[in-house]
Amino acid sequence: MQSYQEEYIANVKDIAALTAHKSPGGRSFEEYLEELLADRQEAEQKTNRNMELLREGLQPTLEHLFEAGAQELASLREFASSLLAGTNEVDGGLFCQIHQALLSLARLNRDKKQMIQELYWLGIGRNNLCNKMVGLETTEAEKYTHKMRLCFTEAAAYLKYYDEIEDTQTRGYILRSRANISLGHFRSPGEKIRLTRQTLEILQDSSYQEKEPGLPWERFIYMTHQQMASSISRSKTEVMAPEDIAALMDSVYIVYERMIREAAEQSQKPPLRSAFSYASINYYCGLDTLDGLLSKMEQLMDETDIHDFSPDNMYGLISIPAFYCQYLQEYPERLPRKKDYVESLYQKILDYLRIFPQAAGNESLFFYLRQLSCTFVETGDGISYGEFLQKLLILFAPDIYVHSYMVGKASCAFCRIILSEEPSYFDDIDHIRAVKDPQQKQAAVLDYAMQCGLFHDVGNLNFISLYTQISRQWFAEEYEISKLHTVAGNMSLSQRPSTRLYAEAAHGHHSWYDGSRGYPGSYRRLECPQRQMVDIIGITDFLDSITSMGQLHFGAKKTYAEAVREAILLEGRRFSPLLTARLRDKEIARILREAFEEGRREAYYHLYEQEASS
Amino acid sequence: MTEQTQSGQDHLRHAAEAEREIATLEKKIDKLEESLHAAQAANRAKSTFLSNMSHDIRTPMNAIVGMTAIGLSHIDEKARVQDCLLKIQTASSHLMSLVNDVLDMSRIDSGRLTLGREPFSLPDLVHDIAVILRPQAAQKRQSLQLEIGRIHEENLIGDSLRVRQILVNIIGNAVKYTQEEGCIRVRFDQHFPEGVKAQRTAADTVFLDFLCQDNGMGMSPEFLERIFLPFERVHNEATSKIEGTGLGMSIVKNLIDRMDGQIRVESRLGEGSLFRITLPLGITAKSDDLSCPQNQTVLIAESGESLSDQLEECLRDCGMVPVVEKSGLSCVTYLTEAKYEDRMPCAMLLGQSLADMPCLELASHVRQLAGSQFPILLVSEADWAQIEYRASRAGVNAFVPCPLFKSRLLKTLIPLINAEQEETGSQCGTDYGSFHVLLVEDNELNQEIAVELLSMIGVQVETADDGAQAVAAFQASCAHHFDVIFMDVQMPVMNGYEATRRIRSLQRPDAETVRIVAMTANAFVEDIRSSKDAGMDEHLSKPVDLEHLQEILHRLLKSAPSQE
Repeated sequence: MQSYQEEYIANVKDIAALTAHKSPGGRSFEEYLEELLADRQEAEQKTNRNMELLREGLQPTLEHLFEAGAQELASLREFASSLLAGTNEVDGGLFCQIHQALLSLARLNRDKKQMIQELYWLGIGRNNLCNKMVGLETTEAEKYTHKMRLCFTEAAAYLKYYDEIEDTQTRGYILRSRANISLGHFRSPGEKIRLTRQTLEILQDSSYQEKEPGLPWERFIYMTHQQMASSISRSKTEVMAPEDIAALMDSVYIVYERMIREAAEQSQKPPLRSAFSYASINYYCGLDTLDGLLSKMEQLMDETDIHDFSPDNMYGLISIPAFYCQYLQEYPERLPRKKDYVESLYQKILDYLRIFPQAAGNESLFFYLRQLSCTFVETGDGISYGEFLQKLLILFAPDIYVHSYMVGKASCAFCRIILSEEPSYFDDIDHIRAVKDPQQKQAAVLDYAMQCGLFHDVGNLNFISLYTQISRQWFAEEYEISKLHTVAGNMSLSQRPSTRLYAEAAHGHHSWYDGSRGYPGSYRRLECPQRQMVDIIGITDFLDSITSMGQLHFGAKKTYAEAVREAILLEGRRFSPLLTARLRDKEIARILREAFEEGRREAYYHLYEQEASS
Repeated sequence: MTEQTQSGQDHLRHAAEAEREIATLEKKIDKLEESLHAAQAANRAKSTFLSNMSHDIRTPMNAIVGMTAIGLSHIDEKARVQDCLLKIQTASSHLMSLVNDVLDMSRIDSGRLTLGREPFSLPDLVHDIAVILRPQAAQKRQSLQLEIGRIHEENLIGDSLRVRQILVNIIGNAVKYTQEEGCIRVRFDQHFPEGVKAQRTAADTVFLDFLCQDNGMGMSPEFLERIFLPFERVHNEATSKIEGTGLGMSIVKNLIDRMDGQIRVESRLGEGSLFRITLPLGITAKSDDLSCPQNQTVLIAESGESLSDQLEECLRDCGMVPVVEKSGLSCVTYLTEAKYEDRMPCAMLLGQSLADMPCLELASHVRQLAGSQFPILLVSEADWAQIEYRASRAGVNAFVPCPLFKSRLLKTLIPLINAEQEETGSQCGTDYGSFHVLLVEDNELNQEIAVELLSMIGVQVETADDGAQAVAAFQASCAHHFDVIFMDVQMPVMNGYEATRRIRSLQRPDAETVRIVAMTANAFVEDIRSSKDAGMDEHLSKPVDLEHLQEILHRLLKSAPSQE
């Protein structure tokens, strides 16, 4: 690798460490805060340095890619491979950019081998993106699955010319691309299984194997069985054909038997993942009851250890509970009996997450957490979904938590000012209108503003690496993906009683007042009864976002005065004139600024308390 | 004859005359009574008319007055005012159609309505109807199927405005009186007059057979008898909110009668209605047939059988070889294999739906896979104006609207195929030879490659090695000489942003309008914004993507008139 590439990767890792949650040790809050702020400043410097490295190192290479020598191209490929290795993501967005450029070069040079290889790696990069969209079954999210699948399909189409492509590595890429077509979400589980079954037939075909004995056929076949075993679709058994179930069973047994054998050789228990697949498939084909399956899942979850951070234990501790809760959602009559167990599960997971080391970049962890979040069950007495999300923000995205808290505080201050002038301003909102007593109404509005602020960016958890690893500016595609946080937040909040009221704040805080721009298209301001509050969250979010570190995704940070000026310039277009008219008042702008400052300090104090208590 | 006899005869004669006079008087009285009844009926009709009209006019007027007041009282809230204006727009257009109906009826009654006789295109007519009615059906989530059956002649003679009025009225009623998520099927066929075979040389007239069937609320037998009388409307709870004067069907019937056509209606209350209209129309002189490339393969990407069957039939009819793939993934596999085996199809017809992904996502990948010259046509019911930006960005070259007419498909497809095969490099068969492009690039190899790519497209390329040279070249050229400037950003002497700012600030008529495209590896959000801030129109990432370059050039140049 070239020196700028090594420095870039080191910086990304440093930035992740600098912005991660930290134990205060024996320090006072003031000392803790001083260190946190110093860390963030250092992280900002490293981010700016990374931009210099990319502009001076990478971009000239991409600019002159046609004349790049073999060595330069090899170092570029090596750099890319360090950016995304398995589930360890350093910078998935840059990985895709580099492979997209290399694919363009290969197409231009009509270099088939290189084209196949780049299609494969671009597909891998896109699959990494798709994994961030768990629970987001929208057209926008599906777009990335299609892009991934098209890359793998094109590379796999060369299978027909297997005999002519006399290159072991390229043949390997073709075969793996063929298998990877079945990655990601499918509308019909049968389609996924059919594709995987076809891949298995190809891999087990001796005519292919004999022509290329150098390829790790057994590993390829086993990986494909694993892919098949992971296709167990909990709620969709009714649409799976008998042959699909049979194929699934076959793969699950193969994987499970091998796992048992390997575990026995090392005097260990079989991995939790395959034990769960085994139990599930027995349930699907009628060999076990749902209660039997739930009981086996409980056994597996009980075997997990909160001090074990291996991928399998992580799966058992977070992903199996996600499936467990999904069954309880589907069969709610079982929930009363399981309430205490579910509560203990969530508590155990939070304890585990509190001590989880170096979470940044661990895509498996976030993938499982997204699964858990999608299937979260509110029992009524235990931890609510809202509390759970807040804890995740504090643990894995402390800066988003601080920003959200500040937005909540500033929104409260804004609401207080508006209520003093127009007591019925928020009466379009049902639960506010229902409160008649003016003091109680004010309390209800302020509480609502605070909660909306706290939850408005919760959709960022879906794309956590995009938001928390601020190691450079975003590419256009990343910006497009980031916009999905509004949809993700709305989907997640609207599905649970404790957070339903705040869903529209997450949904609409990037919409424009006049509807001419902004996102997402699914938010229609005039049809939203909470729009007055969403407007306030939108403007306070804007004022804080462009003055904070998150703005580095777009360029330079602004000062608070510049942010106020920009908001006023957007009057009647992005922001309601009723709000910008008040922002013109210097006294109100000062009050808001103080609210932001106060909010920042309080939020950091919460982090301090949280860390100190754990 | 005695005097007595004479007197008796006179008496009888007088009596007969008196009787005749009485009879005449009675007749006159009857006539007067009839006239009185007619006058009373006319008066009642006038009253009904006025009552209906005053209600129908008042309803949209109320909306206009009310919404204007609301808008004025919230004048600072742009979104609220916009909402009011949209509602005013809807009410005004309804009011306008009401007035038009009344004027039409008045023209028909007074015999002042004359029918035009001029050439028109049936595909254009059907397309116009679809554009008008599809949004209305979509609003009610109805399935509106427009089918094209056996069509002998596409270029016809008649009063196209009145034909359109008839068809829009009938389909519009079907949309109005069919419940949400209901189905409306519309079909167009043609037949020649009896005794004339399907040989156009033997006839100067062809009958247009129009059918419109819905599964809406239908009509009672009693109402069916009065359906063509003015002001008659179906009245029940479900229709009370449906707007209309009740003049539409009466106008339709009168127009069809004036055209010597026929209209038949079948309907059952609660089950739906079926209208059949036959209109005789003239035939224009036959235009030259397009010569289709024989035995050429065309890939059809469409999962819906109805459309893929139609496309297959059209292509087979003119000697081409259609290959249908129903999913995006199978299309990519087909094209990859075809490219490897050097048997690429001559074009791809992208339909409306695929089994696994939206069509435009496939287009975007195929454009990369198959290269910039490969023709991709979108055949769709969608409104092209609405999807053009996205579709051309995805790499679609041209659009063929549905319902599908063979002539439209071939007129769009064949020039594209010919252009590709002649390797002129010009997209959509457009000659770009008269367009001038200034390429600003400091790197020699990049410049060489870009010049080659641009020359392949057919534009005339001039080069500059840095921003200062670019400004000088632009200043030295005549106004409107350059159509597009491709501007590298990082260059010695003067960078692309600065050069763009200087060009934009020059005092010459084309300084603000010349299209400037940033051509750079800087692909961050901030870079895109910086290039826009500097006055650039587009952003093209490096390494230069052949397809993207061509797509941008096509988009920028197609709206620009050639200066030579």
